[in-house]
Amino acid sequence: MADATRETLQNRNGHPDNGRPETSHHTRTDPKRDEKGYYGVPPIKAAHWTWQIPLYFWIGGIAAGVQLFTTLANVLGHEDEALTRVGRYTSLVAMILSPILLIWDLGRPERFYNMMRVWKLRSPMSNQSWSLVMYGNLSGLLAVRQAAEDGLLGRNFLSRLLIQLIPAKVLSILALPVALFVGSNTGTLLSATSVPMWARNWAFMAPTFLASGVSTALSYLSLVLHLGRWGEEKTHTVLRRAERATILVEAALIAASLIRMGRWGKPLFSKEIAPLFVGGTLIGGIAAPLALLSGKETRNKSILTSVLVLLGGLAFRFAMVHGGRQSANDPEAYFSFASGENAPQPEDKV
Amino acid sequence: MATGFLTDTTVCIGCKACEVACKQWNQIPADGYELSGNSYDNTRQLSGTTWRHVAFIENPKHRRLTGDVDLVALAEDVREQLPGGAELDALGRWTFMSDVCKHCVEAPCQQACPTGAIIRNEFDNVYIQPDICNGCGYCVPACPYGVITQVPEDGRVFKCTLCYDRQRDGMEPACAKACPTNSIMFGEVEELKKVAEERITTLRAKGYSQAYVYGTPEVGGTGGIGGNHSKFILLDEPETYNLARHPFLPQAKVRGAFVTSAIAAGVLGAVVALAFRD
Repeated sequence: MADATRETLQNRNGHPDNGRPETSHHTRTDPKRDEKGYYGVPPIKAAHWTWQIPLYFWIGGIAAGVQLFTTLANVLGHEDEALTRVGRYTSLVAMILSPILLIWDLGRPERFYNMMRVWKLRSPMSNQSWSLVMYGNLSGLLAVRQAAEDGLLGRNFLSRLLIQLIPAKVLSILALPVALFVGSNTGTLLSATSVPMWARNWAFMAPTFLASGVSTALSYLSLVLHLGRWGEEKTHTVLRRAERATILVEAALIAASLIRMGRWGKPLFSKEIAPLFVGGTLIGGIAAPLALLSGKETRNKSILTSVLVLLGGLAFRFAMVHGGRQSANDPEAYFSFASGENAPQPEDKV
Repeated sequence: MATGFLTDTTVCIGCKACEVACKQWNQIPADGYELSGNSYDNTRQLSGTTWRHVAFIENPKHRRLTGDVDLVALAEDVREQLPGGAELDALGRWTFMSDVCKHCVEAPCQQACPTGAIIRNEFDNVYIQPDICNGCGYCVPACPYGVITQVPEDGRVFKCTLCYDRQRDGMEPACAKACPTNSIMFGEVEELKKVAEERITTLRAKGYSQAYVYGTPEVGGTGGIGGNHSKFILLDEPETYNLARHPFLPQAKVRGAFVTSAIAAGVLGAVVALAFRD
């Protein structure tokens, strides 16, 4: 034994820790070893999704809500040309942006068309692709008709033919369920994963995303009509009333989601996400707009309300996606979730 | 005919030959030279470029060996009273586990895949067709074991193929071939089930009453995904090996989500329609 080694050992003999192995994996010295799991390595992998996906969730939700409002206006006999025009062009732009964002996020964007190889009803990603194709085509046809009516295609025989050939009412009624599916499926897409925070909330995830989509859409319509000084007086009154009601529905669904998520909803209140979720969504996107909507209506106040709701909805989607990432990276959350009764079981009732 | 693995962690010596054989045969790139500090495991976890991963789990014991202990007898699995009152586990136990894709019977990754790139091949293994996958990454959060992973440089997702190419040529997978202690066994799932049961009986007879099979729905908690074609013989709780106790099928609730969405759509439609009343 070298002298230096002997010296070290002799020095250690007087040490109170003598005899205890100095490995970091020692049960007593390494706190990680007392936890369940393997050195804190996450047992599941988080989705790679970057900013494109939450942004798509927001745009898809707006498209769904815009379709809902304009179709209902049409069916209930409330004719407002400006509203119809904004609605149809918005749907088209949303249905152009959504696939671009989704394809951008693919690992192999040039192979996006493989989404059209099969249709699997159990894969929310597959349903999403197909519903976007359907709604994209329907909104495209409606926007073409609108463009013909507006004279954007020239005042010629073709325009008149298009107006004759495209049955707007039938198409918008057909588009409504597809659009609502696009809006709610953004939530289903998250809940059909192994991520505890998302999977736990399978019942309320899609409804919450849809409600938030409708509230952002109503705010969007109100904002655009106000900015352009378009639309009839009644449209604004209805929008305001509907906005207030849907924000209340959304608030109730978020509350139900938080109760359902329980301990697995913790990431939403973590240091990184709380400003987004509590500040952006709960206060900025729900509480403040409700307060603003209850007072006397002015144009500036309406614009502010709309902007707040829109930003709140965007914050909600970012908070949910990033919260899911934290949830997936937390071994304790996954193990406690997948240890027994908490995870969705096959025999569960709807 | 369904083929699969049976990984017997009780005879694994942590040589990592399976990791190397897998990388070599499948020509997967290296993961770099990073030291994790997690025992001798610098691979850390399964990924798109690591399809076999050997976990190193240290279970030190605090009891001291006293008296004239026959270390050879200890190593040779002797259970009778040892001289000096020493106990068999007094040396501590070092557990190794060669982790791999579980090839779930109801594979969540396969159900999540929107392109149909993930299929069950003729050997009933879960296989990703690399020429179809467009890297949407939706299978990644679906996997209850964190196996399937996107490779950023490539864009697509990858995981164990159960050596589909070798199986087609009548050979066993590279990891099973390379394993020097036969910890990794390859064969028909039904056969492996029997082998596993026999091994558990042997282990229990030797005093390892905690030994159990992971991946058979009747025995473990993997019923939510119909069990696994890659089974494991384990001595600790599943979480110690980073495995979920009751993995679940995330897509089981898609139908339920449709129903709640439809109700929500109806309610929201009614709420907005009511706003049109004068």
